[in-house]
Amino acid sequence: MKCMMIAGCLLLVQPAMAATQQDAEGTLAKAVSAEAEADRLGNRWVPTETALKAAQTALAAQKWNEAQDQAAEALALALRSIEQSHEQATAWRDAVVR
Amino acid sequence: MIVRLALIVLAPVLAVFAVAGATAATAPDTSDPLADQRAFQAYFTDKFPDVKKSDFANGPYAVNAGMRKQWEEIMAFPPYDFALDEGRTAFETPFANGRTYADCFPNGGIGIRQNYPYFDTKTAQVVTLDGAINACRTAHGEKPLPYSTGMMASITAFMSETSRDKPFNIVIPDDPKAKAAYEAGKQFFYTRRGQLNFSCASCHAGAAGARMRGDVLAPGLGILAAFPIYRSDWGSMGTIDRRFTTCSAQMRSVPLPPQAEAYRNLEYFLAYMSNGIPISGPGTRP
Repeated sequence: MKCMMIAGCLLLVQPAMAATQQDAEGTLAKAVSAEAEADRLGNRWVPTETALKAAQTALAAQKWNEAQDQAAEALALALRSIEQSHEQATAWRDAVVR
Repeated sequence: MIVRLALIVLAPVLAVFAVAGATAATAPDTSDPLADQRAFQAYFTDKFPDVKKSDFANGPYAVNAGMRKQWEEIMAFPPYDFALDEGRTAFETPFANGRTYADCFPNGGIGIRQNYPYFDTKTAQVVTLDGAINACRTAHGEKPLPYSTGMMASITAFMSETSRDKPFNIVIPDDPKAKAAYEAGKQFFYTRRGQLNFSCASCHAGAAGARMRGDVLAPGLGILAAFPIYRSDWGSMGTIDRRFTTCSAQMRSVPLPPQAEAYRNLEYFLAYMSNGIPISGPGTRP
C-alpha cells in the first residue's frame, strides 16, 4: 500500500512528457486549419491569432514545449470560435428585439 | 495549461450570464423592417421612459445625468471644432481637376447626411457617406482617404454638421437585395462573436445605459447620430468604421477591414432603426 502511494505521488510530480518538434508542428497545423475555417465563417478571435503567432515564434526558436502549448491553446480557441459560429447561425434570432 | 484551456471553454458561457441579452423568445423567420423599427424604438422608449425620443441622438448622455453634466461643460469648447474647420476647408477646396465634393452629392453635399447610408440598386450594395466621399475622390483622380480617422472624419464632421437636427431618413427600396442587406446587418447586430461571446446587442440593447467598467453603454437607438466623434479614449476623431473595429476588438474578435460589406450592412440596419432620430454629429464621447 505504502509503495503504491509513493508511486502515485511520483507520478503526480513527474513533469509532462516533453513535446517533440513533430508534436508541435502537428498541433500547429491543426490549429492553422481550424483558424482558416473560423475565418471562412467570419469569426476569427484575437487570442487565437495571438496564440498562433506565439506558437510559430516558439517553433522557430526550437522551443518545442512552448510551441506545443501555444498551438494547443490556439486549437482550442479556434474550435470554440467555430462552435460559436454554428450556434449563432440560428441562435441570433432569439435575441432580436420585438 | 489545463486551467487555461478550461477558462477558454468556460469564458463564453460565463459571458452569457454576465451580460443580459435582449428579449429571448423564438423569432419568426420573416423580414419586416418597419415592424422591426417600431419594436426597436419602442424597446428603448419603454426602457428609458423619461428620455425624449430625439434625445437618443446624444447616446449615453441621454440616459446618465452625471455624464450629461460633464458633457455640457465639455461642449463649452467642443473638442471636434478643429476637425470641423479642417473638414470645411477640405470640402470647399477644389481637386486637381477643379471639381469639388459638392459636384458629387445631391444639394451640393449640404444637409444630406441623414439620408446615408442608402442602398444602390444598380450595384446592389449599401453606400455609406464615407464610401461616397472616397468614390467622389477617385472619380476625380484623387487618392481615397483612410476610413477610420484623419481627414475622412473631418469631412464627415463638416457634412454632418450641415445636417444637424434633420431626422434620419433611411430608405429600404422594394428590392430583395436591399432587404437582404438589411437582414444581414440585423443578423450582424444580434450575433454573438469573439472570445467574450458578445453581440452588438449585448451592450447596446440588453445592457444599454448600464456601466461597463468606466463607460456607460449607449442605447442602440440613435447610436450613429453623433458620428463622427471625438473620443477622449482615442484622443482624436473617429468615424463609424473606427467605432465598429474597436468594438470588435473589445469583444476579442478580429475586426473586419473598414467599409467591409458586413460593416456597411450593419450601418444600414442601425441607421434604419434610428429613422426619425435627429443627426447630432459631430459629437464627443468619453
